[in-house]
Amino acid sequence: MRMGTRCREVLLALMLLLGVLPTSSFGAQVHFQSDTLLQVFQRDTATEQDATVLPGYEYLQLDAGALDDYGLAFHFYGWGRADLADSHYFDDSTDGKLLYGYLEYRRPVNRFSVRLGRQYIFEGVANEAVDGLRVSSDLGDYFSLSLYGGLPVALDATQGRSGDSIYGGRLSHHYGTRYEVGLSYKAIANDSDTAEKMIGVDVSAFLPANMSFYGYSAYNSETNGWAEHNYGLRIPLGSVTLKPYFQHFAYQDFFGTGANAIGPFRVLANTDETLTAYGLDALWQVDSAWTLGGKAKLYDYKQKDTAETFSVQLTWQGDKTQFGGEIGRTFADNTAGNDYTLGRLFGYCAAMAGRSWVDFVDADALLAYYDESIYGKDSSLFVSLGTGKHFLDKALTVKISGDYSRDPYFDNDLRGMLTLAYVYDHK
Amino acid sequence: MANKHLFSILALLLTLLSMVACSGLKTSTTFPARHPTAEELTVEPKNCVECHEGGTEIPYQRYVHDADWGRNHRQAAYQGEAICAMCHQTSFCNDCHATDAGLKPSEKNDTEPYRSMPHRGDYLSRHRIDGRIDPTSCIRCHGNPKAAATCVRCHG
Repeated sequence: MRMGTRCREVLLALMLLLGVLPTSSFGAQVHFQSDTLLQVFQRDTATEQDATVLPGYEYLQLDAGALDDYGLAFHFYGWGRADLADSHYFDDSTDGKLLYGYLEYRRPVNRFSVRLGRQYIFEGVANEAVDGLRVSSDLGDYFSLSLYGGLPVALDATQGRSGDSIYGGRLSHHYGTRYEVGLSYKAIANDSDTAEKMIGVDVSAFLPANMSFYGYSAYNSETNGWAEHNYGLRIPLGSVTLKPYFQHFAYQDFFGTGANAIGPFRVLANTDETLTAYGLDALWQVDSAWTLGGKAKLYDYKQKDTAETFSVQLTWQGDKTQFGGEIGRTFADNTAGNDYTLGRLFGYCAAMAGRSWVDFVDADALLAYYDESIYGKDSSLFVSLGTGKHFLDKALTVKISGDYSRDPYFDNDLRGMLTLAYVYDHK
Repeated sequence: MANKHLFSILALLLTLLSMVACSGLKTSTTFPARHPTAEELTVEPKNCVECHEGGTEIPYQRYVHDADWGRNHRQAAYQGEAICAMCHQTSFCNDCHATDAGLKPSEKNDTEPYRSMPHRGDYLSRHRIDGRIDPTSCIRCHGNPKAAATCVRCHG
């Protein structure tokens, strides 16, 4: 597993800290989860055609401390992969990742929270993994503030971590269930150069008749332009809910994020293109089980022509059974050189749990038709079947699934997967 | 330059101290650390308003996990992370939102077709069209060099 030296140091420090803290600080709760996945499929590699690829994945999660209550807790989640058939298929890929590992202290008054270590920040303009510190708290009844700072995980492979930094925060004003307005900021540096600076405004307001208004805007202070506006309404009308929305993106400001930008999108930052989208989502809760939904979205551009997507979904959800279907049509001939129709059917049934030698079965099928063929094929078919059984009072679940795909990239592709999911809880 | 750094550090310390001090002000908003689980309730707690009516602290209707929730939860989560954390650990979010989660979400959770997950089936073909219609939607999950490792193999 390739893992940065700094990352290992942070993890080691956290583990040591965990070890020296008094047990009473943590309570005695432990949650451990292990997901072991074994896949098998065939791919062409640099040295062999139709080489058998046999990757084994291990996803480990450990949470210890005050989990059901406020107090001190440690959280860890990461994964590793081994190429058991030595196929060299993953030679250019990472073989593992520490997704997070942090200590958190929370107290109930004002939802005060401090996190130290590798963590994800999802708030305001931030959608980042950070090795660092985050502090958040309500400030009285009407304001909340969060601040974070440290090293950006996403840039640790881009010229090392020297000179890298990330900091930001969000200040919000809220009035119970009436409204919330937030102002957020994020600054990222790579190798001492500015990689990204964004300012965000987010708002949600709860209107009469259960209607709500929500949205956000992001301003790129490096390119000095609005990157994004995204606003919508939620209108409940009895058993029907309508969600009209509006989006606007300026590519120069949205994709112009310096070292944080990546290959396929970096070129878009050099265009003067804008995208304005108008959409409507509708959901009809027919009864306690049936739901009918529809989506329509129109894309309008400054330079390109327009595109449209439409879809209808129907689902049935029972106590232990769920099935549904979806059909949609995308018109993008003038913007992407192709139109396509997509249909999907899925089902999941756990009604036989305890009465059969399996506890659940599931099926999923997708069929896409392309108006213009892709690599000589005008359709894609994907079928997945799976089943599983619980053991040890549901602490261990064994799942087996098989996927078949016939599409523009694969003639007849088969993939099998065995999953062992183990959960241990100590309270 | 040294003065600028000193000022930044002092400003940060002052803000943190203010936060700690202000966080001592008691408010009426106190959430439970953890919401009862499906096993404890004997029902999946997806429809908040089945049990919670009215209230003055949490707009429960906003967090109802209806059929659209998988595609529309972003802002509710970004404004109400503490509410999400009552039921979900970050590992749940990491199925889709991570710097590198190893497997695509629908592949890792192959036996859960009822969950709304992006890129089901042969998305390699469809992404040629979807990506040109709205490349901004890719950025939400593939918007940095680590998270874009799968894109870079072909796109450089």
